[in-house]
Amino acid sequence: MYRVFRTYSMDVTSIFVVGIVVSFICINEWIGEKWLIQLPNSFQQLNTIFLSILIEAIPFVLIGVLIAGFIQIFVTEEHIQRLIPKNKVLAVAASCIVGGFFPACECGIVPIVRRLVAKGVPIYAGVGFLLTGPLINPIVIMSTYMAFGNDIKMASLRMGVGFVAALLIAFIISLIYKSNQLKHSAADSASSVKQLEQKTFFHRLEEMVKHSIDEFFDMGKYLFIGAFIAAFLQTYVATSSLFLFGDGFIESTIVMMGLAYILSLCSEADAFIGASFRNLFPSTSILAFLIYGPMIDLKNTIMLLSVFKARFVVTLLFFITIIVFICINLITFI
Amino acid sequence: MHFSFQHFLRASILGAFAAFFLYQHLTGDITNYINPKYGFMSKMAGGFLVFLFLIQLSRVWRSSTGGHVHCSSSCDHNHGYDDSFLKKFISYSILIYPLIMGFASAPQTLDSSFAENKGTMLPQAKDSEADSISSDEIHDQEPLPNNNFIREEDYQKRMQYLKESSVINMEKDIFSSYYNAIRNNSRDFVGKPIKVQGFIYREEGLHFNQVVISRFIITHCIADAGVMGLLTEFEQAGSFEEDTWLEIEGELDVTVYNGVELPVIKAKRGRIIEEPSNPYIYPVLREMTN
Repeated sequence: MYRVFRTYSMDVTSIFVVGIVVSFICINEWIGEKWLIQLPNSFQQLNTIFLSILIEAIPFVLIGVLIAGFIQIFVTEEHIQRLIPKNKVLAVAASCIVGGFFPACECGIVPIVRRLVAKGVPIYAGVGFLLTGPLINPIVIMSTYMAFGNDIKMASLRMGVGFVAALLIAFIISLIYKSNQLKHSAADSASSVKQLEQKTFFHRLEEMVKHSIDEFFDMGKYLFIGAFIAAFLQTYVATSSLFLFGDGFIESTIVMMGLAYILSLCSEADAFIGASFRNLFPSTSILAFLIYGPMIDLKNTIMLLSVFKARFVVTLLFFITIIVFICINLITFI
Repeated sequence: MHFSFQHFLRASILGAFAAFFLYQHLTGDITNYINPKYGFMSKMAGGFLVFLFLIQLSRVWRSSTGGHVHCSSSCDHNHGYDDSFLKKFISYSILIYPLIMGFASAPQTLDSSFAENKGTMLPQAKDSEADSISSDEIHDQEPLPNNNFIREEDYQKRMQYLKESSVINMEKDIFSSYYNAIRNNSRDFVGKPIKVQGFIYREEGLHFNQVVISRFIITHCIADAGVMGLLTEFEQAGSFEEDTWLEIEGELDVTVYNGVELPVIKAKRGRIIEEPSNPYIYPVLREMTN
């Protein structure tokens, strides 16, 4: 009887929800015809750019939340303690290398890192993974190689310098921070996996998907805010205003890093944009663009702020900026 | 049995997002947001969102005995379920905003005001850029029927055609390759007749008889749009408004702009055309046949 009621109410709910979605679409189209036409053209362009960033990012975020859900349900703290080296330096190096094989983009990786850190991965290892995940992976290497006219030099510099910078940053973080720096600690996660282990595989799979959904809603709003600000700046601020700083080497590096931060491009596409600046900037400045952007940008700063303590995010942002800048400057002497 | 409004709301939002992705593909509007080369990813995302939607539906009704069963106390109990009303209201407004905009307004095509922000005539080198994306990449990205990729032999044939033909026709699918070839070896093309379509864009410092006949090139999504434009000279250039779409026939020449040598079209004929339904161009992908 209960089951019958349950399936019945499920069917009714499904129809009801679908009805709501359909009427939502219709109402919106009607609103669009009535009022949105009157919005200024530039605002409509802003929205189009905003939506295009979302359409581009959501597939990657979905992959990210699915992996985060998997970690939540299937990975125990014991697994992590066994796998992560006790030695700090080794842990940093290991996390950077694992990140290098991991095909993520900078927005998809935030939920994964959050889940890992909540499961007991030390914060510095989490940072190493966060930095190399989007920067060094097969897809990014491939697109960089192509964007620079099938020249391996830029792609290898991007990987090499990026890897060294990530190591340094993660190491500095390991000296400063000991605790996990999460906004909300997740103390009860260990017991829950054990509790779940007694359940069937399919039940756990279902839990994983449900968890991914919650993660999507958690991260989604920050992704949207970040994407909106990035779209806003693109629509209303001229790229050329960045050139106010001047066009010396130091200045152009700062400009390119600023650009990488504001544009918030997906690391899989940014090489092509970087390449289009070749006539304007020295190649080292473009390298700065290519390394800095995947490590941190506007969109992902806002996502990080939702997960970690603000002070930690600011410190991280500071060190990423300084270290990347120094590394790029050192390169010119070699 | 207990009805959860939040889960209900989340189910509706997931459903609407799934609908949004699929809707964009059905109407073809997707090409006005992203390069169709990446369309596969968003199709998958649409399908996956449908799946998430179905799973989420099962959470709308939960047995009253279970209490906090949604994830068996396995999470940190902060998925926004316990936030204050105001906080929830703001979160869901943010989540719904793109849906409202997505369904209410058709994608706006970028125009010259955006080109101005991007700055173009600042000599942009796109020399060898995406011309030679190899098959590896294409396997990664899953080719699509409307994908802008060309078989290697055809590509070579068309590049050869660029040199030999009597008129250069800047067709949409080969635009970026021809543009780069002309841009990089502008002297080789002096005197060649050319036919090009694009919108009028004016940059500061242009003469009254000069406009840039431009197209936006989309690598991934329109947030990374760049402008590809050919400087064009004709008497009445000043009388056309920006963003007017023109088809120009003329002859190529070279000129110096900001100290850089650039190709320029000396227009002979021109006519106003309708803006194409998909005005963007995409980098050419070559398929390696072996």
